[in-house]
Amino acid sequence: MRQFFSMLIITLISTLLMAAASKAESLQMGISVDQVPVSSSFNGAEIVIFGSIETTEQAALFRGEYDVVIRVEGAPEDVVIRKKDRIGGIWINNESEKYEAVPSFYSILSARPLNLISNSIELAPNGLGLNNLGKNVPVEGEKTLIMNPGEFSDALLRLRIEQDLFSEIPGTLQQLSPSLFRAKLSLPANVPIGEHKVTAYLFRNGEMLNTNESSFVIEKVGFERWIYNLAHEHSLIYGIMAVLMAIFTGWAANAMFRKS
Amino acid sequence: MSIYLPIAEMSVNIFILFGMGAAVGFLSGMFGVGGGFLMTPLLIFYNIPPAVAVATEANQIVASSFSGALAHFRKGTVDVKLGVMLLIGGLIGSTLGVYIFSSLRSAGQLDLIISLLYVVFLGAIGTLMTIESLNAIRKSKNNDAPVKRKTGHDSWIHKLPFKVRFRKSKLYLSVIPVLVLGMLVGVLAAIMGVGGGFIMVPAMIYLLRVPTNVVIGTSLFQIIFVTGYTTIIQSTTNQTVDVVLALILMVGGVIGAQFGAAAGHKLKGEQLRALLGLLVLGVCIRLGYDLVATPTDLFNVIGYMDGGGH
Repeated sequence: MRQFFSMLIITLISTLLMAAASKAESLQMGISVDQVPVSSSFNGAEIVIFGSIETTEQAALFRGEYDVVIRVEGAPEDVVIRKKDRIGGIWINNESEKYEAVPSFYSILSARPLNLISNSIELAPNGLGLNNLGKNVPVEGEKTLIMNPGEFSDALLRLRIEQDLFSEIPGTLQQLSPSLFRAKLSLPANVPIGEHKVTAYLFRNGEMLNTNESSFVIEKVGFERWIYNLAHEHSLIYGIMAVLMAIFTGWAANAMFRKS
Repeated sequence: MSIYLPIAEMSVNIFILFGMGAAVGFLSGMFGVGGGFLMTPLLIFYNIPPAVAVATEANQIVASSFSGALAHFRKGTVDVKLGVMLLIGGLIGSTLGVYIFSSLRSAGQLDLIISLLYVVFLGAIGTLMTIESLNAIRKSKNNDAPVKRKTGHDSWIHKLPFKVRFRKSKLYLSVIPVLVLGMLVGVLAAIMGVGGGFIMVPAMIYLLRVPTNVVIGTSLFQIIFVTGYTTIIQSTTNQTVDVVLALILMVGGVIGAQFGAAAGHKLKGEQLRALLGLLVLGVCIRLGYDLVATPTDLFNVIGYMDGGGH
């Protein structure tokens, strides 16, 4: 593994040197896996995102003027938030709000708290930070998170944080050397299936200079994938199979009953 | 040991689920009931999404009712003709129930309606059962002769038209109440994730006057088909049947049922009914409490991965 990393870093650095000629300051990034398999034993996973800051200004690099912030986002989805009210003595889902294009997973990885890295003028348009979530998405629908701030969007954030689906934790990114960084991303067991976008942002003294994008995919494999696909694509066969399985189990139980 | 459920999309402890299956199987073997009315609330307490719990439980009941019905077939205590009539109503009811289930789900009121139905039915049946069995216990202590079942050609149900002869049950009865009863239980089976035996059995005894010895077998016979049909319809309409979850529960259930049946033979009928009545009331009170107690969180969030909603 160590050898793999050093190889990768060497490759990265050589590409960086070439890239550096075109742009003064840039960022290279790699992810430890392309695919996170979800099998029957899946109980969350941890992946590593690593890379380097490439700059011609070595002095600034050694003074620690640069910061890297990584945003990991799951596929956007529509969500409905419902609020319970007491009606006739019982608690019933009453008012609701619908938001469009909310990421199904959202994680900010950084070495320091975001407010120490930059200000909201730089962070907000890039959707960096839980309070800026969704602000990088162009407003198409009638209700995105930014347009309807209030108790419903607060509740959405709070619930997703409680479910470990949204996070913003300083210290999740480490600067291994002035130019090399490594970040650890924890994926909970309930992480949504699908493609996750990873975007790294390079800051210098609070100013956003450059970005780099990559992605990885979380997918069901083997038996779990087969079952899920069967249930969704051939649901009739799936249903019949479920019933036959039950009849067989019932018959087997009955046969054992008679012997004993 | 945790296992990932492919449809519920969550990681669960296989031993806890197996234990739940075995415990409910024990009770259902002991009391001679399907156990769906206990299992579905248990699954929901264990944070399985109600939509998955209900649909998967229908699948599990196919296994337990098939196992039970085989035994009754051998003893010859199944009225197939009556069962088929109930079944016709049941299939109509189940189709209707799955449709209601889908629309309640998209309106966000599914959980509430499931809880309300449970509270109402468990409350009513638990109360009746407890009172009836306590009376029976008191009477047996006073050495009174048990009340004779009315031969029954006097009630309005027996005056309805379209009469059919059910030889095994020794009944000459209109098909209307049979179809209606089957349909009602079918609707409940789909929405509540139960076989409906706990409603079907008393209704057959007290409303249709079916002899007690064929009631359970006939009820189980038609439950196989109604829950099997519900499983298929839930699969095609809502994609909420989780076969991995169902299999764990089935295996736990059939093993538990063996021990339960043995334990059941050591208790008197009225004692069993009193215990079951109290158990039913307990589940009812727990669910009812959740409806009226201030929830820890007033908000809940549902995401639709495909962006389109359902």
